[in-house]
Amino acid sequence: MKKDNSTDKLTRKDALKKMGKYAALTAVGTFVILNPLNAQAGSPPDPGGNPLD
Amino acid sequence: MNQDLAPTYQCQFGEFWLLWYSKSNNYSIVEHEFKSLLDHYLNANSIDTFNSLIIEEDIVSDTAEIVKSLELYLENCNATNKAYTTPKLKFDSSKSHIQAYYHFLDKTIEINYDSNLVKKIIHPAIAYLEVSKKTKVQTVFDIYLDEDLLCLFKDKELVTAVPKRDYHLLQGKFVMQLLSIVHGKQESDWLGTFHGSTISDSKNSIVFIGQSGKGKSTLCAILSSHGFELVADDVSPVLSKKGHIYYNPSAISIKEGAFNTLKPIVDHFDTIPTVLFNKTKGQLKYIPRDIPTLYSYPCKAIIKVNYDKDADTTLEDLSVKELLETLIPDSWISSEPHHAKQFLDWLKSIYFYKLTYSDTESVIKKITTVFKSF
Repeated sequence: MKKDNSTDKLTRKDALKKMGKYAALTAVGTFVILNPLNAQAGSPPDPGGNPLD
Repeated sequence: MNQDLAPTYQCQFGEFWLLWYSKSNNYSIVEHEFKSLLDHYLNANSIDTFNSLIIEEDIVSDTAEIVKSLELYLENCNATNKAYTTPKLKFDSSKSHIQAYYHFLDKTIEINYDSNLVKKIIHPAIAYLEVSKKTKVQTVFDIYLDEDLLCLFKDKELVTAVPKRDYHLLQGKFVMQLLSIVHGKQESDWLGTFHGSTISDSKNSIVFIGQSGKGKSTLCAILSSHGFELVADDVSPVLSKKGHIYYNPSAISIKEGAFNTLKPIVDHFDTIPTVLFNKTKGQLKYIPRDIPTLYSYPCKAIIKVNYDKDADTTLEDLSVKELLETLIPDSWISSEPHHAKQFLDWLKSIYFYKLTYSDTESVIKKITTVFKSF
């Protein structure tokens, strides 16, 4: 989870030092990986039943 | 270390870095601190060098855990999704039960469907283009069910066959075929197709994105009834060569929940036929729009849309992270490296906003202001 350290006026580096391993893991953990679709598609199907059934 | 797993392209957006991995066509968004750690790791010759670099930066932590996390991260970024393989199927001419002709921009196509159920997948969005009289046909499509596979043939050659539950993939392939015919392009000419709707002021364009039901199409129906031009609904194609958004002739798909809002705005709304797609989507109307002045426009902004009947209409800046978390998973972006590079450069030239809207008048004013700011 992203931590907001703005209230205690710590820099990111200070925060890492203070929080040790947990912060380091947090630093490594703040990323997202996004996969585009492999092929063109219309709006994704919803759970309302397949119109072809 | 592990240089072969390094991102192929990278681009900074304020506090974030956007990285692209060619092995997987994955995009990753990381914060500055993460990027520094990753660079140290990739540039280091050994774990010891990496450890010493981290100590120099005065990060008090368990470096073994950092290495483990970075390795896992790189592994995930480079992991490829198993691509769907289209089965080899021969064309079956006995399934052409329902014939329809569609005419647009001096071109006529013929589509043969095997049933009304299958016709419902494609026809409603282009029904307004249907012509009864057969003129010179440029391309013939056949769309039919072969057991549980939904098949699309172009001039008797298989384009795709997908499990029928994935009918949206066939819709996407068909739209790609249609766009290529309309604009005289090949599939490889397109940088991508965004899941979003595009509006123009006859000079520039804005792409509206957002999850299904957030009001993208309704907003486009409102705007295109108030002097703006509809460029594309639901699927917005970007051409590699110009980076422009191109005209998609499909009509605007409107759910029943928006009928009352649009009835006083859209001309002859009651005469537009309703289509029952499935139980959840309920009744739909497909609103045709005039052909825009130009067939393509430069895109100046992407706006994430959220309709909230109780909220004031507001427009705020949006981070690249929030934008791409919505845009990328529902869009096709070519995996060709030069297209990925173009996509990153293209994003750099675009404004990102988040729009919350409630009433027609204020949202028209807001969007007019945005167009004027370009």
